[in-house]
Amino acid sequence: MQTMDQPTHLPEPAAWSTAEKAIFRFFFLYFFIQVVPLDYKYYQYLFSIDWLQLSYREIFYLSRYSPKFIDGADTFLNWAIVAGIALVGSVVWSVFDRQKREYNLLYYWLRVLVRYRLAVGVLAYGFIKFFPEQSPLPSLSHLNTNYGDFSAWKLFSLSLGVVPTYESFLGLIEIIGGLLLLHRKTATIATLIILPFTGNVFVSNLAYEGGEYVYSLYLISLALFLFSFDAIRLFTLLSLEKATKPNRFQPVFSEQWLKNARLVGKLAFIVFFVFFYGYQTYAGHRKGSYQYPQQKGLSQAAGLYNVSEFSINGKDIPYSKTDPVRWKDVVFETWATLSIRSNRPVQIDSLNTEEIFAADSLRNYESTGSISRHYYSYTIDSLTHTLLLKNKNRHYKGEQLVLHYERPEAGTILLKGLNENRDSIRVVLNQVDKKYLIYEAKKVGRRKGLKL
Amino acid sequence: MSTLPVDTLRPETAASETQLRPPFWTAWQKILFRIAFVFFVSLALPNDPGWYKDLFSFDWTRLHYRDLYDIARFGSGLNIFGNKIFGSSLNGYATWVITLIFAIGVGLVWTFIDSRRKPQPREYNRLYYWLRVVVRYRAGIGIIGFGYTKLFPTQLPYPSLGVLNTDFGDLTLQKIYWLSIGIVPWYEVFAGVVEVLAGALLFFRATTFWGSVLLFGALADIVFVNFEYDGGVHVYSSYFVLLSGFLLIYDIPKVYNLLVREQLTIPVHYYPSFHKPWQQWSRVFLKTGVIGVFVVWFFYLQGVNFLYDPYKQPALKGVSELRGNYNVTEFKINNQVIPYSPLDSVRWQQATFENWTTLTFKVNRPVDLDLSNGGGSPMRDINRTFELTGVAGGQRVFYYEADTLHQVLYLQDKNRGRQNRETREIEGKAARTEAKAKPVVASWIPKEALAIIGSEDEKIHPLARSTRRTRGMISEAENPGGESSQVVGWDRSNNGTVKAPTPLRNRMILNYQAINGGNRVILSGINENRDSIHVVLDRVPRKYALSESTLKAGKYD
Repeated sequence: MQTMDQPTHLPEPAAWSTAEKAIFRFFFLYFFIQVVPLDYKYYQYLFSIDWLQLSYREIFYLSRYSPKFIDGADTFLNWAIVAGIALVGSVVWSVFDRQKREYNLLYYWLRVLVRYRLAVGVLAYGFIKFFPEQSPLPSLSHLNTNYGDFSAWKLFSLSLGVVPTYESFLGLIEIIGGLLLLHRKTATIATLIILPFTGNVFVSNLAYEGGEYVYSLYLISLALFLFSFDAIRLFTLLSLEKATKPNRFQPVFSEQWLKNARLVGKLAFIVFFVFFYGYQTYAGHRKGSYQYPQQKGLSQAAGLYNVSEFSINGKDIPYSKTDPVRWKDVVFETWATLSIRSNRPVQIDSLNTEEIFAADSLRNYESTGSISRHYYSYTIDSLTHTLLLKNKNRHYKGEQLVLHYERPEAGTILLKGLNENRDSIRVVLNQVDKKYLIYEAKKVGRRKGLKL
Repeated sequence: MSTLPVDTLRPETAASETQLRPPFWTAWQKILFRIAFVFFVSLALPNDPGWYKDLFSFDWTRLHYRDLYDIARFGSGLNIFGNKIFGSSLNGYATWVITLIFAIGVGLVWTFIDSRRKPQPREYNRLYYWLRVVVRYRAGIGIIGFGYTKLFPTQLPYPSLGVLNTDFGDLTLQKIYWLSIGIVPWYEVFAGVVEVLAGALLFFRATTFWGSVLLFGALADIVFVNFEYDGGVHVYSSYFVLLSGFLLIYDIPKVYNLLVREQLTIPVHYYPSFHKPWQQWSRVFLKTGVIGVFVVWFFYLQGVNFLYDPYKQPALKGVSELRGNYNVTEFKINNQVIPYSPLDSVRWQQATFENWTTLTFKVNRPVDLDLSNGGGSPMRDINRTFELTGVAGGQRVFYYEADTLHQVLYLQDKNRGRQNRETREIEGKAARTEAKAKPVVASWIPKEALAIIGSEDEKIHPLARSTRRTRGMISEAENPGGESSQVVGWDRSNNGTVKAPTPLRNRMILNYQAINGGNRVILSGINENRDSIHVVLDRVPRKYALSESTLKAGKYD
């Protein structure tokens, strides 16, 4: 392999063929519409943000822009509409612009737009993984739910959540990919990282019934566009093993203010999307994952409880595997959530996109994508020793239980009150000293024995 | 703003330079190469005599997928000097360090010898070419071996009913990861395609770069997964990262020069010329041979395995009336009724019959767990333990053989707790055991029942029968688990012509009565503690949130 020195002469850039120009006009318009926010709703959101209270949540939502012409969940129809507009636009453009020899400069700037748009996209997800928030550690209720009672998408998230270091590693790869995009010369290398990574995210979304396959394919389409710039060159060099010319175009910022503007713009981007956003996700992580509520639960109550006694309207119901009313077990989380396992069917509450909820009442990661447990958020009236329970599942809106609690001894909780059907119930809960294999096996190692 | 078109090509220089001989190597390059050569040859060529023995002991006319898999999967590095450094195995990587030390030693001796040669070698382009060939083929064959077990999703099986009924917190990290892929067989297929594709690309010079990028990325992730989830194959997955990393070194300077430095890049390659007919013939023969065996034949064998004999899952179907989830409606032990309680330590709480020959039931009493990853390639169904390894929660998992004429189940505990060492470590030996003339049978099942039950080996689909399977059946029956056997437990029959070593397994003999197509099942007989039990099971349809797989391994209808 040999290399050349810097050029000493500057020939005119080669003219593009008619077909090349036509194709370029289409893709220019297509990607321009895809990456530049032209949607008024975007600006509505932008101006509704309280910029003094800005956190990673708002930036995350801003980062997820793609043009939507159709309300509801994102669909590929939106892409088709963009392509239609681009097609019409490019025909008109071709009619009016016959003189242009090439579009090197425009191509360069389009790639800048796409590079930065893609960088925002991968950094936004990268940081909430790097500071493992996207998939938090499983809750106690999760640990006490049958494997088959979770949806595939929930299991995907829980399986990642049990290994925070691995989640950080995945986030780091996304961040590295994003950072390499910020530099023209490393952009293609960035796509070699992002394409397989996001390709995997896309296939995962399909396989695990996730809701972001359109958006992940959107990011892939941007990465493919960027990769295509050097793809033929790499193929010529590495597969055909022929001498290969590099990218022969680069903009020259001759005037000082342009140089400054470029530098300021780039720095501002890095400060905002890397340092500010990165710090905010870190600060959020320190406070606890955004997936779980923050309100503290009943003090020293967290744990799994066996339902040793259960009576309804004064009638005792003994232990039963099949009784439709009796509770099987109860979990108190450290935060103000209580979950009950029973035979009463749970209509599944699905959420398979990434959402960052600010209010506790909306934070439903714990309850979505699973059946067999009913999840309640509760408020404590410590004067009257009463818990007001509200079902978190959107299919059971308005369902409430009012339960008076007594704690006769450590590990025992006595609940009395009205259930969701206004029947009076009395429940005795005994805390179970439950050992979880996830944590126990770590202590002894895989090759040793363990009795559990 | 103005733009600067850059053209760095000066054709006249380029043309003249391509006619130059490849440049000389520096002294350091030569020293590093000599070390790397010894290191990677030691790593990439099989140096265990057992590997060669296997090659000749396989019955190539009736091959099992695992035979080819074993050829493709051999460990890395020299272990003739042991596998520990200062008493530490360095998490399994000590062999690599030892191999490196050996390579440095040989490399330095080689450097000394070369310094005495006249004229001294100016470069090692030819050797480098062949070293890359060895590494390319080693990595390609190895990863295809792995890839096919995913392409036909058997490496990470879909969870059994028993596992679906286990709480998430009652699984090991390793199990959680394996299951998380197992629940989406189409995703597993995708992962397999990536691995097989990466391997196939390595068989051709022109696509080696793309194959190594793919392999490096995919396997670096798998290494991390193995560390974080305690998967246990971090060394072998690192092996592919190392090999593909080595292959990439060749191209990285060119890519860097072209993309980052934005310079004209002229690749200079050394290729041996095969002009003699025998050279051309052997090249074509060897290449077609490798692709034919490891891509085509392997595909067929793995496909057969997926269809009829998925290796982590029992191959034989269970009694067809006995399938699904059951509620334990009634439980009597020594004629005493025990009501249901989640705290009771004797009563069964729930029971499940899998599609294959497994009965599970839950009892609230601690059990010795098997925390291995349930791998290896056991041939007997009783030794296929993926459904219980890394799973807690009080579930008991019993393998049964059914005398369907008299409606008797002969059950044996599949869980052997911590005694159940990783089968992987002993499987090589098992495979090499010669088939003996007289088949050994466990003597606790009466002769006439055995006649009705039939031979496990013969009950599988004829396409899936292989010499390895037959031999495995015998050696596993003789030496279950690989450790010295002890006669413990009890023996109902006294037909002891061949005294099989009795493993430490719990056993039950239960009559079964399937009423109403198996909606109600009554089991009665002697349990593992020689107590008489009477259990009434009622089938409960359970709807899981997890969608059922559309791609199922094995045939159980």
